[in-house]
Amino acid sequence: MTSTDDVRERAKRALNRPAKYGNDLDLSEYQFDTVGSKTLSIEEVPEEDKALAEEVGFDPTEQSVAGSFMQFDNESFLADVLIKQEGLEVLPTPVALQKYDWLTDYLWRAVPVDADKYTAASELQGYGGYFIRALEGKKVEMPVQTCLVIKRSRSVQNVHNIIIAEPESELHIITGCATPSEVERSLHLGVSEFYVKKNAKLTFTMIHKWNEQIDVRPRTGAIVETNGVFITSYAILSPARSLQTYPKVRLVGRNARADLYSVVYGTGTSRYDVGGALVFEAPGARGKVISRSIATDSAQIIARGELVGKTAGVRGRLECNGLLLNEGARIAAVPMLDAVAEGVELSHEATVGKVGADQLNYLMSRGLTEEEATSLIVTGFIHLKTPDLPPPLQKTIDDAVKMTLEKGL
Amino acid sequence: MLNRVLLMTEKPLMEIRELRVEVKGVPILRGVDLLFERGKVYAVLGPNASGKSTLAKTIMGLPEYEVKGGDILFEGQSILDKNITERANLGIAYAFQSPPTISGVTLEEFICRICPDYVCRMPEDHLMGESCTCRRELYDDFDRLGIGNLAGRDLNDGFSGGEMKRSELFQVLSMRPKIMFLDEPDSGLDYDSLKIVGKELRAIKDEKSTTMVIISHHRYVLEFLEVDTVYILQNGQVVYTGDMSVIPELEEKGYEQFLGEVTA
Repeated sequence: MTSTDDVRERAKRALNRPAKYGNDLDLSEYQFDTVGSKTLSIEEVPEEDKALAEEVGFDPTEQSVAGSFMQFDNESFLADVLIKQEGLEVLPTPVALQKYDWLTDYLWRAVPVDADKYTAASELQGYGGYFIRALEGKKVEMPVQTCLVIKRSRSVQNVHNIIIAEPESELHIITGCATPSEVERSLHLGVSEFYVKKNAKLTFTMIHKWNEQIDVRPRTGAIVETNGVFITSYAILSPARSLQTYPKVRLVGRNARADLYSVVYGTGTSRYDVGGALVFEAPGARGKVISRSIATDSAQIIARGELVGKTAGVRGRLECNGLLLNEGARIAAVPMLDAVAEGVELSHEATVGKVGADQLNYLMSRGLTEEEATSLIVTGFIHLKTPDLPPPLQKTIDDAVKMTLEKGL
Repeated sequence: MLNRVLLMTEKPLMEIRELRVEVKGVPILRGVDLLFERGKVYAVLGPNASGKSTLAKTIMGLPEYEVKGGDILFEGQSILDKNITERANLGIAYAFQSPPTISGVTLEEFICRICPDYVCRMPEDHLMGESCTCRRELYDDFDRLGIGNLAGRDLNDGFSGGEMKRSELFQVLSMRPKIMFLDEPDSGLDYDSLKIVGKELRAIKDEKSTTMVIISHHRYVLEFLEVDTVYILQNGQVVYTGDMSVIPELEEKGYEQFLGEVTA
C-alpha cells in the first residue's frame, strides 16, 4: 500500500469521528462540489466580489502585496505572484501537488488526517486551497494576500493550505474569508498546515467575515523548527452559525517561538469555540496564546488555550480575557497548562466579566457619558497589539475592529 | 442691585449640609457640614476611616455612596440628582487614589479625549495605538509633571504609585475644574515628585481659579500650599475647623490626643 492509500484508509476510518470540541455537524447535509480548475486573473474577478474581499483586507489593486490568491467556492482560483517578488511561490494546492512530488511529505504532517470527520472528509472529497512558500534565505517583506469566498448555498468550501517558510526566510500572509449575506447553510472546511524552518519567520493574519448561516471548521497545525518564529493574529468580527477552531503549534526546535493572538466578537446567536495550543518540545522554546472575546446578544463563546511543556527550559503564557456586553450572552474561558517535565515555566490569566462599574465611574468622572465610557472600554479591550506584525497588517485588523464596533455599539 | 451682585459672588462655591452617607448599609458620614469657597485651598484631615475619601467620592457621585440625608449644593443648586458625568461637566473633579486600569487606551489618547485644550489631530490613516499628533504642549506638560514616559502606556496599567498620582493630577488639571478633590495626591511620592506636585498645585492656587480640597496626612504639601482652611473629620463628622497653624501640633500629638483635647 502506498502512503497515499494509507492516508485515505485512515481518513475513511475517521469519517464518523466527531471533533473533540464544538457542536457536531451532519456532513450529509452539505454538498461537496468537485474541485474546479478554472483560473482567473484579477481583472476577471467581478466588482461585487472585489468589494467583499476588500472588507476582509484584500487589496484588489495589489499595490502593496507580494502576491495574491483567491478561491471562489471550490470552483475557480486566482494565484498571482507579482513579478517583482523573488523567492515566493503562490499556487493552488492541487497544482502544487502536481508540480512537486516532495510536497506529499507535508500533507497531513502538522494536522493528522484522522483527527476528526472534517479532516477525513477534506481528504476524501478533494480540496482546493493554496500553497505558499518563501524560498530559502528570501525575505518576502510585502504580505501575500489570500481570500476565500463562499458564494453557493448548501455547499462545502474545502481548502487545504500548505505554507512553508524555508530556512532563513520571512513570509507574511493575510487571509480573509468572506461570504455574501444571501448564502445559506454552507460549510467552510479549511485545513492549514504551516512549516516554519530553521531561522525563518512567518506571520499569519486572518480575518473572518461570514454570515449567520455558515459553519466554519478550520483545522490548523504548525511545526516550528530551531529559532523559527510563528505569529498568528486571528479576528472573527461578524456572526457565523458556528465556528470551532483549535490550532496546534509544535515548537520542535531549540528557541522556537510562537504567539497566537485572537480577537473574537460574538453577536446574534453565534456559537464560537476558539482555542489554541502550543506544545513546547525543545529547550528554549517559548510562546503565548492571547485571546480577547466579546459576546453580545445571545452569542456563546468558549475561549480555550493550552500550553504543554514537554521539556525543561521552556516558557509559555496564556491570557484569555472575556467581556460580556449583555445578559444572555455567555463566555467560558478554559485555560489548560500541562507540564510533563521539570523546569517548565507556564502561566495563565483568565478573566470573564462585564464592563467594570469602577472603570465606568472613573471614565464618567472625566466627563464621558456612560455610553462613551462603555464604548471606550470595549474598544480598548478588543484592541490587541501584536508587536511582531507588520504595521499595515495590524492596521487591517484595527480597521476591521473599528468598523465592527462602529456598527455594533 | 449692587448689593445683590455682591451677595451672589460671596455665596460659597460648594456647600455641604447635614450630609449623611451609607456604603452597603453602613453609615459612614453622620451629618457633615462644610463650606468650600472659590479659589481657596482646603485640607480635609482625620484619622483612618473617618470618612474623608467617602466625602470626596460622594460629592463626585459614585453610586455605591448612598446619600441618606442632607444636601450638596454647587453654585447654589443641589447636585444630588446629577450623575457623575453631569457633575464632572459642572466643574467638579476627583483625583482617584487607586484608579482602575483601562486596557488598550493610552494616557495620551485619553487626555486628548477629555481635554479640549489638547485638540487631537489624528490623521485619517492613524493606526490605533500609534502616537497621535496632538499639540506640542501636551508633551511639554507631560514632561513638566515628569510623566512623559507614560504617554503611550495604557491608562494606569502598571503605573507606579507616584506615576499614578501625577497622571491623576494631570488629568484632573486638564479638565480645568472649578473644584477638585485630590485624594492623597502626595502619598507614595519621592522627594522629587513631591516637589513637582507641590509646585504644580501652588501654581493652581496662585491662579485662584480653582478651589482645591486636599485629603492628606502630609505636612509638606499642605505647608507649601499655605492651605486656607483645615477641616478635621472623625467618625463621619467635622470635629474641628481651623487654619494651618494646627498642623504642627497635630503632627506632634497625633489625632487621638489632639482631638481628645479639642473636643473635651
